[in-house]
Amino acid sequence: MSLEVKNLVKTFDDKKILNNISFKIENGQTLGVIGFSGSGKSTLLKIISGILSLDSGEIIYPKDSEVAMAFQYSALFDFLNVYENIAFPLLERREFRGKYSKEEIDKIVAQKLKMVGLEGIEEKFPSELSGGMQKRVGFARAIVTNPNIILYDEPTAGLDPVTSTMIEDYIVQLKKDLNASCVVVTHQLSTIKRAVDYVIMLYQGDIVFKGSVYELLEGKNDYARQFVSASINGPMNIATK
Amino acid sequence: MFELNKTLTYRGFLLLREQMAEFLITLGNIGCDFYNTVKYILKLRINIKETIEQSKRFAFDSLPISLAIVGMTSIIIAMQLAPELAKQGGADYTGMLSALVMVRELAVVMSGFAIISMVGSSFASEIASMSVTEQISAMKVLKVDPIEYLIVPRFTAGVLFMPVIFIISATFGLICAGIVSNKCADLSLLNYITSMWHGLYVRDIFIAIFKSSVFGGTIALVSSSCGYATRGGAKEVGLATTKAVVWSFLAIAMWDFVFASVFYL
Ligand SMILES: Nc1ncnc2c1ncn2[C@@H]1O[C@H](COP(=O)(O)OP(=O)(O)OP(=O)(O)O)[C@@H](O)[C@H]1O
Ligand SMILES: [Mg+2]
Repeated sequence: MSLEVKNLVKTFDDKKILNNISFKIENGQTLGVIGFSGSGKSTLLKIISGILSLDSGEIIYPKDSEVAMAFQYSALFDFLNVYENIAFPLLERREFRGKYSKEEIDKIVAQKLKMVGLEGIEEKFPSELSGGMQKRVGFARAIVTNPNIILYDEPTAGLDPVTSTMIEDYIVQLKKDLNASCVVVTHQLSTIKRAVDYVIMLYQGDIVFKGSVYELLEGKNDYARQFVSASINGPMNIATK
Repeated sequence: MFELNKTLTYRGFLLLREQMAEFLITLGNIGCDFYNTVKYILKLRINIKETIEQSKRFAFDSLPISLAIVGMTSIIIAMQLAPELAKQGGADYTGMLSALVMVRELAVVMSGFAIISMVGSSFASEIASMSVTEQISAMKVLKVDPIEYLIVPRFTAGVLFMPVIFIISATFGLICAGIVSNKCADLSLLNYITSMWHGLYVRDIFIAIFKSSVFGGTIALVSSSCGYATRGGAKEVGLATTKAVVWSFLAIAMWDFVFASVFYL
């Protein structure tokens, strides 16, 4: 499903976090969002997913789309085990209640777990998992309803390089399978290179770069160059405000 | 030099204003959650599985402490009352007075206190910590309504099971009082029981059951609501729990007053 964000503005306590953000993602495309810590990337995803309200602007996607989000800090239900976490929407969402048999849910959960490289941990509770494992369970839970708009908040942060590659490949694979539009917030260039079609970069509430991954790495844009080369010198100053 | 914004009065005023705002916001939140909860229940949007789960918790968690508190209270009252009444030649009234006091007031209020401390505080802290760790946000994105999943089942459990706890605790309390009267004032158990019936009115019992139901619903709703509105971190979770306990106590005191005015004035 396509996703369009139009002139989005968001302020927190008089501080403009997002200032007139616009972009459009077509079916089967993945947008990468980069930017300094605190530049409003998570806020952007939370607004698209409807958790936060927006001050002005529009989020446009077809009515029948299914939006999913993998949270930056997993946000697993700590009172449920891994199985129940992943099965949660299938068991508890009104429209799905009673639609799936126990066997079907078992199968779906096992399949999603296998997909993120975690098998046989159904009975464990989130507190018994490592951060990276929690992240992957969160990923599995997000995709259990076969969404077609998927928002990933730093899906590979804190994962080892091999697992990261695996997750990146799944982001690509899923996008194809579900014909989904995806937004991937990430700090990792490897993720951008493998999983992303084009990129926007946020700085002080504005989009300061918008272009393909090639253009990002090419270094013609000053902001992009500073970010990619991890340089302290450039148009952006970390110590703002 | 005189600066208005540094005077104690001014700062006191600011603090007061802040607290007033906080009070009104909390009241608004509770009202809003109550409205939604009732709306969901009327539409029969009730999650049966969660309701059963929460009911078990509500009843089992609070029953022991409720029995302990109500039992102790009635023992103490009987201990004070029975010898004194016996001295004045009114030993026959012990059962009646105990029943009256227990059923009309003490058993409900005391088991309410037990439930606030055992169940209310845990409702508030668990929902608050879910809120600050984005679990409630995750629930919304997964299109599971948190009001339906978290608040409605707890409210329903409170409304249905507080009366059960009240009935068990009150019965237990009256038995304790009988035994103590027997030991302290040599009052025969038969005498106590006969006298007790004189203090038990069907109307009182029904009012008390209704009152306990209202208390249970109030405690569950206030606690869940205080938790649900929490933003921030560990400190705010702690504050939410305190707030839930304080507000539940206040709400119960207020309801008790309302009930006494409406039914016994
Ligand atoms: N609930 C909130 N209330 C007030 N301010 C907030 C809130 N959430 C976020 N902010 C502010 O909004 C800004 C953007 O936060 P956000 O979490 O979106 O950043 P981010 O780009 O995701 O950073 P990171 O890369 O560290 O995850 C920050 O300055 C933060 O202080
Ligand atoms: Mg973030």
